[in-house]
Amino acid sequence: MVRTRLCILGESPLVEEYASLCLNKGFDVSFRFNAEGKKETNVKAPRGARKITRPLKAVDLALELTNIGTEAKQRNLIELDAILTARTPIISSSVTVSVSEQSSWLRHPQRLMGIGALPSLLEGGLIEFARSSVTDEGVLKSADQFAKQLGKESAHVQDSVGLVLPRILCMLVNEAYFALTENVALPDDIDTAMRLGTNYPLGPVEWAERLGVQQVQAVMMALHRTLGEDRYRVAPMLQRTAALAGFNVRVPSRNGLSK
Amino acid sequence: MIKTIAIVGSGTMGTGIAQAAALAHFDVLLNDASAEILKKAMERIKEELRKGVSRGQHTATEATEALSRIHPRKGFNDLGEADLVIEAAVEELDVKKEIFKKLDDIVAPAAILATNTSSLSVTAIASLTKTPESVVGMHFFNPATAMKLVEIVRGAQTSDETVKLASGVATKMRKTPVICRDTPGFIVNRIARPFYGEALRLLGDQVASVEEIDRIVRVEGGFKMGPFELMDLIGIDVNFAVTRSIFEQFFTEPRFRPHPIQRQMVEAGTLGRKTKQGFYTYK
Repeated sequence: MVRTRLCILGESPLVEEYASLCLNKGFDVSFRFNAEGKKETNVKAPRGARKITRPLKAVDLALELTNIGTEAKQRNLIELDAILTARTPIISSSVTVSVSEQSSWLRHPQRLMGIGALPSLLEGGLIEFARSSVTDEGVLKSADQFAKQLGKESAHVQDSVGLVLPRILCMLVNEAYFALTENVALPDDIDTAMRLGTNYPLGPVEWAERLGVQQVQAVMMALHRTLGEDRYRVAPMLQRTAALAGFNVRVPSRNGLSK
Repeated sequence: MIKTIAIVGSGTMGTGIAQAAALAHFDVLLNDASAEILKKAMERIKEELRKGVSRGQHTATEATEALSRIHPRKGFNDLGEADLVIEAAVEELDVKKEIFKKLDDIVAPAAILATNTSSLSVTAIASLTKTPESVVGMHFFNPATAMKLVEIVRGAQTSDETVKLASGVATKMRKTPVICRDTPGFIVNRIARPFYGEALRLLGDQVASVEEIDRIVRVEGGFKMGPFELMDLIGIDVNFAVTRSIFEQFFTEPRFRPHPIQRQMVEAGTLGRKTKQGFYTYK
């Protein structure tokens, strides 16, 4: 059997999550973390994957998984576009930048496919994809094939920042952090209330921890930027928590519920 | 120490709370202005307790004892011995205010007055009593016999002691209390808004279809139901009314803005499962 040669560029923990699943499914994986930030250098490399400094030309598929640093994302995509043959598909996370906008950076935009990549979502049984109006039909098939190889269903949605699930989840998390900002209830009580009252699989603060508060913030800022509505502004408590995310605090400060 | 609980209003919520309270060994005074409704309520509780026995939720003896602890009381003046009153009347501020004004004169000064409101201001209801510090929200979820959650709502003047006692009652009823400040939608109805609102925006903006959004949320997100299936179950009219109420209470905050799709479906009378037609068709 010929192993699919896959190159993954991007940020932690998305790179590790995709690399370990793809390795598990028999892919030949090479990867590179975005250089910026000391956090990335502490990350343990996925075992069995090759760490690279430059993308290899001989790959069948490339993944770009950056949601937070748009400049790093742009650099990665331009680099992949220059090195890979024009027909090699690039699947790129499009939760904070639309596929259309990313296409404008490339010489060969017909190879670009968007994916709804956020930390922990690979635990689900479905992958969301979005195309631009210039994406080749063949690339759609490659995307479906990729999902199938990972044992997932696929869904194709319109090219819109946040796609479907990341947008709904981030909005739930953001609303919970507005409630925390206003000291409506304690984080654990909010999670308990949503699990028991609405039967959600996780409470919104638990979702925030799984997805990463900085990732949620990045999605909200992208929605706010592209849709231009106050509806999508980042909750103050989410901003503060995201700024302190390196210190692993759940909610940086609270005043208690007493009056 | 709370021993006797009066329940004002014997509709679905009132009877459910009465049953849960009686099973938790509280003496219950079940009140309704209509003798007819009260009679039906007692029959319904009897039937539900019987079903609970066949489901193995409690023994026949426990059911009989629970039923013997529920006393129908038509007159308002017969509620004076209650240590806690839980009001579960219709969701109209004027009606609730009237009830609390009367209760204030009837119950002992130390008694706690609770409202089961899901959308009205606990603070506004409390303001008409002489002891607003003893007024609290106890928001049970439907069906109250099965749903574990109770939102304990602290009004602007509610005391710590009142919150503690109300939480204790919920715990004794084998519920899980969560404490929240008196703000529109409390916790659940407020934080659940984007689940529906954002799905409607995605649909309206043609990002994906009803079926696709539901499939994505279920299969990728692990939710039991997608937002449109859930809206059909709740009722499009009910969901629209809750959204609208929270939107207005937050002085038209855009995060809670209802979607024209909801209004159009209400206008069309396609209200979900109950009319066999909502986002999906039901046979």
